[in-house]
Amino acid sequence: MAKVLMKGNEAMALAAIKGGCDAFFGYPITPQNELPEYLSKHMKENGRVFVQAESEVAAINMVYGAGGSGARVLTSSSSPGIALKQEGISYLAGSEVPCVIINVMRGGPGLGGIQPAQSDYMQITRGGGNGDYHTLAFAPENLQETVDIIKESFTLADEYRNPVMIAADGLLGQMMEPVDLERSSNVKEAPLKPWAATGESGKRGHRNKIVSLFLDPNDLEDHNLKLQKKYNRMIDEQQRFEMIHTEDAEIVFVAYGSMARIARSAIETLREKGIKVGMIRPISIWPFPEKAFENLPKSVHTLLTLEMSLGQMIEDVKIVNQGRYKLDFFGRTGGVVPEPEEIVEKVLAMKEGAN
Amino acid sequence: MKRITIITGHYGSGKSEIAINLAISHSLDMLIDLDVVNPYFRSRSAHGVLKAHGVELIGSTLDKSSGSDLPYISSKGRMPFVKKDVRAIYDLAGSVSGAKVMMQYNDYVDKEDYDLFLSVNVYRPETAEKEAIMHTIAMIEGASQMTVTGLINNANLMNETKEAHLLHGQRVLKEVSEALNIPIVYTCHDRSWTPKQAYEGELFPLTLYVKSG
Repeated sequence: MAKVLMKGNEAMALAAIKGGCDAFFGYPITPQNELPEYLSKHMKENGRVFVQAESEVAAINMVYGAGGSGARVLTSSSSPGIALKQEGISYLAGSEVPCVIINVMRGGPGLGGIQPAQSDYMQITRGGGNGDYHTLAFAPENLQETVDIIKESFTLADEYRNPVMIAADGLLGQMMEPVDLERSSNVKEAPLKPWAATGESGKRGHRNKIVSLFLDPNDLEDHNLKLQKKYNRMIDEQQRFEMIHTEDAEIVFVAYGSMARIARSAIETLREKGIKVGMIRPISIWPFPEKAFENLPKSVHTLLTLEMSLGQMIEDVKIVNQGRYKLDFFGRTGGVVPEPEEIVEKVLAMKEGAN
Repeated sequence: MKRITIITGHYGSGKSEIAINLAISHSLDMLIDLDVVNPYFRSRSAHGVLKAHGVELIGSTLDKSSGSDLPYISSKGRMPFVKKDVRAIYDLAGSVSGAKVMMQYNDYVDKEDYDLFLSVNVYRPETAEKEAIMHTIAMIEGASQMTVTGLINNANLMNETKEAHLLHGQRVLKEVSEALNIPIVYTCHDRSWTPKQAYEGELFPLTLYVKSG
């Protein structure tokens, strides 16, 4: 199929349909409303389920129910709405029910604002709900990558029997870009789900139960050890990143999503000035792409973390850095989207300070 | 150009950019931003450039509310329908819910005094074909209680746009134009290039203000 011009939220919605989404449950919040609006029309046209729930809490529990019955399920929201869903996400992870959650991030804390931000990094990568659990989380940088990842995410959710989170932001949700919805992506038909509660226990001969409750501590520990094995497999298999001009770089940016997009322009400007900068762009934020930091060239002396927050991912950078490189940080927050020039100025000031 | 121009269309069809460019190129007195649906990328974000060109921008009644999604509209938005020497352009929000906002001016509307132009980008999947565009027109006319008087060909894939895209847009819009007897009034293109083929209506170069602002 040829390219079409789509708004981010619409493209995410259509990508979910293309990825095999059977059902959507959600509650409105800016800046992601075009996503459920689009699905409210098109899920029905495609013979699938769309429900606007009475609250975020209801929506995530509908996801839990529909996912538990074996359907491919989606919910979407923005930062404070995702916070409301955390209890449900913990239950989904604990009972190994696959689902896809799109978070079109806005400024926080609390109700915050409605402009783009990346201040949910902790909420997404550290859980937010209770217990030792992880959600697979991807942070795409442009609409084509967003579409490709959302299509694939339903397949990944099924493969790992785990929630997958898409960390977009208001900028990606609202911007328009040409996209190809049919570009090949790793989309597989939904597998057989012998664990699902389908109401057919009579035919099956035993009863499937979807639970996260284990009253015997030994059983619960065994369950956690089993989950941990799965998370370790995700860490091995799902670290995704892009290296940009790192081959001769002295300063390496670490930035994801919209911030990486802005950083690309800054890299161009700085390279024109003869300053050797590059970037590690995490595409998966959980698992954090530790592998990207393994073979950096000898020329690197500083890692500059860039975020649309006051510093959340930098904690992962610190963990992976283990004291090897100097660390620095630049961030804007509250819905302020930085200009590339601000990053350029930051780097120039760092060079000034070093001399 | 009539005294009052109203720009409607599916969201993402380029309404705000077209409204701002028309307001500036025709030195209009006023641009009324009636986009109460979505707080991102609406014409009020081009406040500075409009002011520099002497165009008064009417947006929300709330100061500093450019980041708000509260659906406030200034009562000043009615002024062009009352003061008959004001030349103005209205920028509606997307599709049917956006067009509904015009209903409030129904009692004031003088049929001879306005044009309602539908901006269409055939590379937006919701308005890619004749039937879908005709459906959009019917829905917008129903919601606004006004008649679409002109079509704007704004076929584009942003900076991937080629002349073939504009020609395809024209082919599709001609079918609509013939079926409904509504003329194509403008064919838009980015100011960075000039189309070479023949087009219906006026060729109208756009400078993008909202996207960059």
